[in-house]
Amino acid sequence: MSTIDVNGTAVEVDEEGYLVDLGSWTPEIGTALAKGDDCELTDNHWEVINFLREYYEEYQIAPAVRVLTKAIGKKLGKDKGNSKYLYELFPYGPAKQACKYAGLPKPTGCV
Amino acid sequence: MSFLSIFYALLFYFATGLLVVGLGYKIRQYAKTPAPLKIPTTPAPVTKGGVVIRMAKEVVFFYSLFRSNKWIWLFGWLFHITLFVVLLRHLRYFTEPVWWWVDLLQPFGKYAAFGMIAGLAGLWARRFLVDRVRYISAPSDHLMLALLLGIGISGASMTFVSHTDIVSVKVFFLGLMRFDLQPLPSDPLLLIHLGLVAALMIIFPFSKLLHAPGVFFSPTRNQVDNPREQRHVAAWAVAEFESAGDQQKNNT
Amino acid sequence: MADFEIPKIKNYLEIPAVQEDVMAHSSPFIAKPPHQAGLGFPEELVDDWENKAIEKMGDLLGKYRSFQVYLDSCVKCGACTDKCHYFIGTTDAKNMPVARQDLLRKVYRRYFTFAGKYFPKLVGATDMTKEVLDEWYSYFHQCSQCRRCSVFCPYGIDTAEISMAAREIMDEVGLGQKYCNEIILKAQTIGNNLGLPERALADTLIDLEEEVEEDTGLPVKYPLDVKGADILLVTPSADFFAEPHIDGLIGYGKVFHEVGASWTMSSKASEAANFGMFIGSYANMRKLAMRIREAAIELGVKRIVFGECGHAWRVAYSFLNTLAGPFDFLDPNYPVPQHICEFTHGYLEEGKLRINKEENDHMRLTFHDSCNVARGSRMGPTPGGQFEIPRKIIKAVCNHYYDMAQDTIHDATYCCGGGGGLLTDDLMEIRVKGALPRMQALKTVVDDHGVTNMAAICAICKSQFTKVLPYYDFSMDMIVSVHQLVSDAIVLTGSEQEKELDGVEDDEAEATAE
Repeated sequence: MSTIDVNGTAVEVDEEGYLVDLGSWTPEIGTALAKGDDCELTDNHWEVINFLREYYEEYQIAPAVRVLTKAIGKKLGKDKGNSKYLYELFPYGPAKQACKYAGLPKPTGCV
Repeated sequence: MSFLSIFYALLFYFATGLLVVGLGYKIRQYAKTPAPLKIPTTPAPVTKGGVVIRMAKEVVFFYSLFRSNKWIWLFGWLFHITLFVVLLRHLRYFTEPVWWWVDLLQPFGKYAAFGMIAGLAGLWARRFLVDRVRYISAPSDHLMLALLLGIGISGASMTFVSHTDIVSVKVFFLGLMRFDLQPLPSDPLLLIHLGLVAALMIIFPFSKLLHAPGVFFSPTRNQVDNPREQRHVAAWAVAEFESAGDQQKNNT
Repeated sequence: MADFEIPKIKNYLEIPAVQEDVMAHSSPFIAKPPHQAGLGFPEELVDDWENKAIEKMGDLLGKYRSFQVYLDSCVKCGACTDKCHYFIGTTDAKNMPVARQDLLRKVYRRYFTFAGKYFPKLVGATDMTKEVLDEWYSYFHQCSQCRRCSVFCPYGIDTAEISMAAREIMDEVGLGQKYCNEIILKAQTIGNNLGLPERALADTLIDLEEEVEEDTGLPVKYPLDVKGADILLVTPSADFFAEPHIDGLIGYGKVFHEVGASWTMSSKASEAANFGMFIGSYANMRKLAMRIREAAIELGVKRIVFGECGHAWRVAYSFLNTLAGPFDFLDPNYPVPQHICEFTHGYLEEGKLRINKEENDHMRLTFHDSCNVARGSRMGPTPGGQFEIPRKIIKAVCNHYYDMAQDTIHDATYCCGGGGGLLTDDLMEIRVKGALPRMQALKTVVDDHGVTNMAAICAICKSQFTKVLPYYDFSMDMIVSVHQLVSDAIVLTGSEQEKELDGVEDDEAEATAE
């Protein structure tokens, strides 16, 4: 099992870089996970990450892309409520990359 | 009776026995092994008659191979069709009187040998010239072609170069069929030809020549495309999964 | 963008010179112990795995005629050697179908044939060693089981059958693939590959209803677990989750709404996909199929319809009756199961759906035949319906349609590169390289006909293309669902679209409706 360094403490991640102990997530860990991918998190990133965490808390799963875009559109304005905007933020795909930083398990299946 | 005649007689009894038993064993194995799922490569025929037509297209014309690669088709089909004619021609050495249609074939059968040799040479050349085919060729693949080519060349040589005493050869084989041993001419070309043929018969059930019966048992080619209309199940699957307890649950 | 070389699209598809072991490094993540145990496999590589593997091979030889016949019959003619998209894209010799089969065949020969037992060198037979196992794990996860090789083999030898058997043997000795096995377990316990629980699914569908109502002004429903509905729709869970999949789901709902069908989805069978096929496991495939049967019984439906999903349709069309039948409790007037394309096509033929093709005029389309639909199933009553019906639907709802080259469509179609359990990030290199032949064919119609979009009826294809298109300088949203096109063009009775059409452009609208 590999680890990443977060302010001096080692945090366990799986082979794909996702957090192993989902309950241990902190914003610092999120920042560190993003840094590992050379991604600097802005406020807009955090809007997405925070929504993902809220949704996960309620449903125990990441939201569908459509649900996410709608929610982000409500928060950041209609022009940003589309997957194109989300891909700009998370080029590797909002579902997977944003989930990783938010400490959510990786979505599986044909996605 | 010469040692040679006895040796070849025993060799052919052995080779024939092994071919029949070995092939019989493999065909029985193929027939008895279930195909638990419907896996025809589609579009596939929706009736049994359609499957017969599909299979005939494969076996007679090598339809899939034709779609796949024109060179392999050309050499492969040429080899097989001429081999077929040559084999039919050879019936004249096992029948007395010779059937009229075998007589009719005689001139074609003689020259078919050249087609056979050309086809084999083409196939063998590919094993050297095409890097993909070179990569997948094992020593046995080369030896098989050498064996067949040896049979073709030695056979054609007896027809066109140095005749053997073919009447005595026929007496020998008719004798074998009646368990009445007759002398075999000791012509080297003939002995090579017959030796290689016996080797081929022996190897048949242990080698890739099993493609001959195999093609008829290939589920992707011989299954009817009707899974929605007719439930297809294998006995082992029923035994393993639809046993009494499970069945009750399923039938609710 | 990638830490590997992306193949170049040339003017025509080039068959590369063979290279050895250039993809030997490609191996997916290994399944974790809980995923293995959940599927009834050993948690990790067992002691004495060599003998166990041979034992399992013997077991499969007795159970699958395909396996036995195909291991015996190959003559190494070479017909298949240039047919695999993974070979074309990677140039790795072991990605030629016959070479891939030989990885297993050489072991079969060693233990199960006279020639291999006594003359191993002569026929290329080898012992079951760790090196062989590693090679299996690598190269049998570079096969998408698309069956293109089988079409071109003179004996119909299907590498998919060999690769399924190899994966089953590996699972049986404790070496499973993480992506497939984790997903199968989720589908068996939660009901779908995503692990989407019932409540999340229900709320996602409510969201969808709101969206469609906003757009059309009509209360189009996406019902879940409605007892007594006529039709059970089983669709890939990606349809709930991803784009462009969800636009297809919206389309199914609109068609059902317009024809007044009574339908429902099921939270128990909220997955059409059946990854049990990918790992060659009859038992696991059956377990997943049984959920559909049970859902159909519990909900009391009369018919089962499948959404757009390639391998799911193969399992549904070809295997469902075998695995979970007989379906004598359903309405015998309809095929079990039916494809959503068969359903929609039927109503289009009858003229029961009003279509405004101009809604899709901003697109010029082509269609990607998904491998499992093309070569492992059928639609409609006649062979080849699986090619005709989706195209007829597209042509009925779009004005501009162009086929890709003949040797890349219908039963000669090239796999998207992500099928067969390879749609995972750890196999991105093989996915991108394997997409080359399809990208090449697409490029040609883009250049020749100005094609802007490619439609598909497979969740894997849609996700794979979304990911892979940008590697070849195409836009990721080039890939669309067939029912997305239907959704955009259909004019629902009483909808905003109908009012707009009939109000402003009366004459033209009627002409289109003809």
